[in-house]
Amino acid sequence: MSSNLLNSISSNFGAVDWAIVGLYMLGTVAIGLYANRYIRSMSDYIVAGRSLKPYLAVATMIGSELGLVTVMYSAQKGFTGGFAAFHIGLIAGIVTLIIGLTGFIVVPLRELGVMTIPEFYEKRFSRGVRIFGGLLLAFSGILNMGLFLKAGAIFVAGLTGITNPTSVALIMTVMLLLVLGYTILGGMVSVVLTDYIQFIVLSVGVIVTCGIAVDRLGWTSIVETVAAIHGEPGFNPLHEGGGFGPSYVVWMIFTAGIVSCAVWQTAVMRACAAESTSVVKKLYAWSAIGFLVRFMVPQFLGICALVYLYQNDVTRSIFFSVDGAPTGNADLTLLAMPVFLSQILPAGLIGLIGAGLLAAFMSTHDSYLLCWSSVLTHDVVAPATGNTLSTRARLTLSRIFIFVIGAFLLVWGLWYELGQDLWDYMLVSGAIYFTGAFALLLTGLYWKRASTTGAYLALVAGAGAVAGLTPVKRAVGLDAFTGAHIGLGVTVLALVLMVLGSIMFPDRSRGETEV
Amino acid sequence: MAFWVPFWGAVLLIGLLIFAMVTVVVGIGGFFNVRSLFESIDRQHRMEDEEI
Repeated sequence: MSSNLLNSISSNFGAVDWAIVGLYMLGTVAIGLYANRYIRSMSDYIVAGRSLKPYLAVATMIGSELGLVTVMYSAQKGFTGGFAAFHIGLIAGIVTLIIGLTGFIVVPLRELGVMTIPEFYEKRFSRGVRIFGGLLLAFSGILNMGLFLKAGAIFVAGLTGITNPTSVALIMTVMLLLVLGYTILGGMVSVVLTDYIQFIVLSVGVIVTCGIAVDRLGWTSIVETVAAIHGEPGFNPLHEGGGFGPSYVVWMIFTAGIVSCAVWQTAVMRACAAESTSVVKKLYAWSAIGFLVRFMVPQFLGICALVYLYQNDVTRSIFFSVDGAPTGNADLTLLAMPVFLSQILPAGLIGLIGAGLLAAFMSTHDSYLLCWSSVLTHDVVAPATGNTLSTRARLTLSRIFIFVIGAFLLVWGLWYELGQDLWDYMLVSGAIYFTGAFALLLTGLYWKRASTTGAYLALVAGAGAVAGLTPVKRAVGLDAFTGAHIGLGVTVLALVLMVLGSIMFPDRSRGETEV
Repeated sequence: MAFWVPFWGAVLLIGLLIFAMVTVVVGIGGFFNVRSLFESIDRQHRMEDEEI
């Protein structure tokens, strides 16, 4: 589908840009090889020896969170929702700042000295909760990153103008193999270093790109075109007529706000890797602007893509319906931003931005691969075998899991039909874990009576969030509800069951398990 | 819409300006933190070796 459409659209991506991308990728792999010399223990591998200082922690936090996939799904939200989509970034920034100032959830977690959230489950509840929670976390997380490769492939196709799907698949596979290589070798140390470089390249790149986009299109023209296409819902996130509305905004306060910085394992890993609790608070306070920008800037590029493609007759016939509304095809709305970049950025700069975003793609993959393989090794296999695994065995197992997850991603990315905005898919797949996890963290850290039975009930309830995925919704007849409705309902249910379960079935040795 | 257009414009502009400043500060500070990260891990390894 995409290849036929792309034949009619040219790209500024040339030989110089390919050279820049190639050098950048080779440099990244070299860093992984270099970092391998610093890996000796599981602590070095997962949390870089707990040696992250504030600036590097902030750079790696933003570098990891400002990935290609984030850029793709945020741009898609800007394309389909207009300026109203900005509320997601605004909420994320404000909530992250509040968490940085208060230390809510993340400071008590760092004080406990845990490396993963399931490890907290064992300290606070029981080993069984840790194993079950770890399995749910890994399942949800791997499903969550299941479409990363697909998003990456669409980006490569849109940016470079490569029309042959086999070539795109080959490029993506090579990139995945590079990520697997340096993550398996260098663990968190290589992740931190590559995230730092990516932070610099991408931060400068997106700011320059925004300037070029506004210069090319004009602010007034952007606003007027969005108003013509989307009307009031394109600006007001509380307006029910668009893709958002009050329930969606509340869902964003929970997901883009609290969950993405204080409950989602990949972000919490940064808090766990920080040198001290004061660094944790600084990390979150400083990262607030990063959490705002990581949504807002790509959304703005998506809005600019909407305007640019609408004003061109050829692209308008591809990306819009006859009545002028944006297409409902999720693959096409994902394609819009990279196509836009391929048209407005000059040769050389497009290579640098492309390399930065492709490195961002690799960076997100390395963080997530490391995270979920660590959870499976550290929180499922190790406790299930009575913690008898040696450090060498754990490292080997983590590396095997990284490879297996990578193979799954290749298959899932080709097979799964998206059917909804990528951001909404990611929220629902993530909700399988974080709705239950939020209940366990909130009550486990701040309520002495939280019990193991309540924890199990909350985790089981949270898994019900899978009903928000479009194919599952259709299968079980929940079409009338949005993902936001289902997610919020499951969150409340998990909290209620956590409280009721704890009151009705308290732990016998509560005094020993308090934290 | 009269409220939202200038509001989102201001949020975008302020966000980009602060982000540009954060990029400069964190970029420079991060470089020195990378060096101390390697030193710290080396130190931990030396202490582990001495304990053995």
